[in-house]
Amino acid sequence: MSPKHLENMYDAVIVGAGAAGLSAALGLLRSPEVGDMRASGTEPKILVISKLQPLRSHTGSAEGGIAAALGNVEQDDWQWHYYDTVKGGDWLVDQDAAKLLAQYAPETVINLERQGVAFSRTEDGHIAQRRFGGHTRDFGGNAVKRAAYAADRVGHQILHTLWQQCVANGVDFAEEWYVTDLVLDDERSRVAGVVAFDTHAGTLHAVHARNVLLATGGAGRLFHTTSNSWDLTGDGMALALAAGLQLEDAEFVQFHPTGLAHTGILLSEAARAEGGVLRNARGEAFMERYAPGHGDLAARDVVSRSIMAEIDAGRGVVDPKEPNGPKDCVWLDLTGIDAEHMERTLPEVVETIRAYANLDPTRDLVPVKPTAHYTMGGIPITTDGEVYRWEDGRRAVIEGLFAAGECSCVSVHGANRLGGNSLLDACLFGTRAGKAIAARLDAPAAGTDDVDPAVDTAASARKSDLDALLSAQRDNEDNPYRLMADLGIVMEQAAAVRCSEGTLAKAADALDGELASRAAALTAHEHSPAFNQEVTAIWEARHLIMLGKAVLTASDARHESRGSLKRTDYPQRDDEHFLAHSMTDASHTVAWQPVHIVDVEPKKREY
Amino acid sequence: MTNTTVTLQVHRFAPRPERDRGSSPFARTSSPFGSSGERRRRPRGKQWVQEYTLEARPEDTVLDCLLTIKRTIDPTLAFRYSCGHGMCGSDAASVNGTPTLLCTATLKDWAKPCVPGSATDDEGFRSTGEPGAGTVSATEHSETGGRNLGVIELAALPGFPVQRDLIADIDPMLEQIKKLKPFLQADGVLATTKGGKVDVFEYLQHPDELARYEQLSNCIACGVCEGSCPVFAGGDAFIGPAALISASRFINDSRDSAAQARLDAIDTADGVPACQSVRACTRECPRGIDVGEEMWQIVAKVRER
Repeated sequence: MSPKHLENMYDAVIVGAGAAGLSAALGLLRSPEVGDMRASGTEPKILVISKLQPLRSHTGSAEGGIAAALGNVEQDDWQWHYYDTVKGGDWLVDQDAAKLLAQYAPETVINLERQGVAFSRTEDGHIAQRRFGGHTRDFGGNAVKRAAYAADRVGHQILHTLWQQCVANGVDFAEEWYVTDLVLDDERSRVAGVVAFDTHAGTLHAVHARNVLLATGGAGRLFHTTSNSWDLTGDGMALALAAGLQLEDAEFVQFHPTGLAHTGILLSEAARAEGGVLRNARGEAFMERYAPGHGDLAARDVVSRSIMAEIDAGRGVVDPKEPNGPKDCVWLDLTGIDAEHMERTLPEVVETIRAYANLDPTRDLVPVKPTAHYTMGGIPITTDGEVYRWEDGRRAVIEGLFAAGECSCVSVHGANRLGGNSLLDACLFGTRAGKAIAARLDAPAAGTDDVDPAVDTAASARKSDLDALLSAQRDNEDNPYRLMADLGIVMEQAAAVRCSEGTLAKAADALDGELASRAAALTAHEHSPAFNQEVTAIWEARHLIMLGKAVLTASDARHESRGSLKRTDYPQRDDEHFLAHSMTDASHTVAWQPVHIVDVEPKKREY
Repeated sequence: MTNTTVTLQVHRFAPRPERDRGSSPFARTSSPFGSSGERRRRPRGKQWVQEYTLEARPEDTVLDCLLTIKRTIDPTLAFRYSCGHGMCGSDAASVNGTPTLLCTATLKDWAKPCVPGSATDDEGFRSTGEPGAGTVSATEHSETGGRNLGVIELAALPGFPVQRDLIADIDPMLEQIKKLKPFLQADGVLATTKGGKVDVFEYLQHPDELARYEQLSNCIACGVCEGSCPVFAGGDAFIGPAALISASRFINDSRDSAAQARLDAIDTADGVPACQSVRACTRECPRGIDVGEEMWQIVAKVRER
């Protein structure tokens, strides 16, 4: 659906309609400031722009849980959650942010429930909780049941509930609109609006706004094997880069250890929480060797690297679907779980294995392979969701520009995210960003309709680009779908799970050279702009290449191994030089911002 | 590597370009019949059937094949897709005349031996009987060298206006869902954190109470049930199974306090009374919801109140 008409000036434009974007919309609309506005008869002008229809966002695919020290099943403490998050992130976590995350997690989860999420329940009616990798009691002790869950479809429940609440609050959506440009003022100090492409009508719009929030999700499509949906092309991050902003910690991409072989489809960590065991070609349960005491529930980066080590040592197995293929998988053994219990607690896992591997997990071993899953880095934000540039050793906030969720980096995940913390980050910091926008509604500039012509200029430039894409001859041999597939293979060979200067340089050459020139030469094979998916795909491909370069640049600049980043040429963590966030811009300049250490001194991260 | 092929017959549609009416002094006058009629109008444009034959394995999904087509044969073919594994609900379409998700429909289940003529006639009906028994073994004839697994016919989801190729306008379904207030109505109090502690806890709900609506809450609003329903897809005034499932999800939720109002809201001529109990809605539900049985239950609830 498209808005009935576009306002000349919006109080807020939210780009993205997953957990972060919808939480922000609700945080804004439920604020006392909006309450006051409505009481005086003024309705805030808010628009949520999403490149997907509502309810299609990738939040809906999150399976396992959302972490909070509710203590519903066993004793828990938010301080333990705080510690686990810092340790899980290999001390690259900004501790002020992680503290907020852990402290406000119970409120966040309770409020999701009170808005309608159908959480699984304990016998006494409370929200049920399960164990999840890296979540412990007593600051690194035994595993604790902290992940609130709804069978294994908590993301679906959260996405639908937040959308339902937005319906209740009368949120205006522009659906299947694709944002092509983020427009700042000339000094890059203030947001002016966005340019958006209505894919139905095939028309571009200059959207003026006093506040813009980017919540476009991750960038899994940088890699060939990914658990991410086809739409996770890093749009918000690329928009920020194109607008002259930086990305923080772009080199940290989490590979989930248990993608279903070559499909990349995720098999939730819940499968191991419920008793699943990883085995190599010899049948050995190898994780106990790499992470004594934690075994199969060690942090995700540890498990992914262990799997790759087994594969490199020749103890991998083939995907039975491709009997002549490479031995690049290991087994996930679920046969030890009681069949009835498995159906009840892991219905999506069981269904995915049956449907996409043609195997019966109660009897058969299941082939798994690390799959690109989550971008820890992103658009740098303060704990109120404000986007900033790191300049001259300080944070220069872009007035009116906000970000939340996976496309952002408040740095609660550091170098590696714990399971259950991403939905939490999106909902919690999304809500906070919405409240922060609300606090700006009565700022001096509010109420005036002084539109910045820069948005219209950007829109006409984009219109020329669109016209060129559509008017070209239709005989272009190349297309964006092929280009994105090729990019995924290049990135995977260079940077999946581990990398070195050599692999990164080779990929950078490919991106700068062949792939960049192919991207520049792309044109559409259909002249009509309405529902012309190829046009959007061309812009997505260009976004991905721009972002891919930033990922390679940041990976190359960090001469150490930390969390999800394994540099084979710099295998050790180096706190002396790199206890800092990389800040990378589109010109491939990397600046370094110190980590906020508040309570927990860095030490060796062992699982 | 693969030595089998499949043929997809895709019912394509290209909308007629919008005329530029910006300068006409009459352009913005609204129709005396309102704008709602516009949505149901049959879209105008060019229609044709295009056939693609490509290498594919029996266990591949129709979506896998369509993505291969976009990448290697025809980047203009339009269809919605996102998660690719049956959770997002974006890729409902008609597969051999049956509404289902493209990403869960495998070739071995849906390819049928090549037969001359189309699976559905001009009116959209198809011949009944055992559809393609033993189709997996497929046929041996193919010009591309590989063994042809057969043909799959694809079209946009029935019951909704087609926008381009396999993309249908499902906004009418979302509007109908929204009309029935698809959100929890309870005391509306939200928790805040003070001094490191929350001031309000979750609503309590016993697992047995959860079980009464849990499966209904798994609905992904894909529209498969709507496209399968002869009443809804046939164009009769019916709010549709998806909206009723959504209403039922809240009616059965022990936390919701608006059950009576919800039952009243669906007891209208285009509400539950319009359901003809055909139960076609159940057959392809990707979330395994027994939609037809649920319709039956909700009709009983409406009557009993």
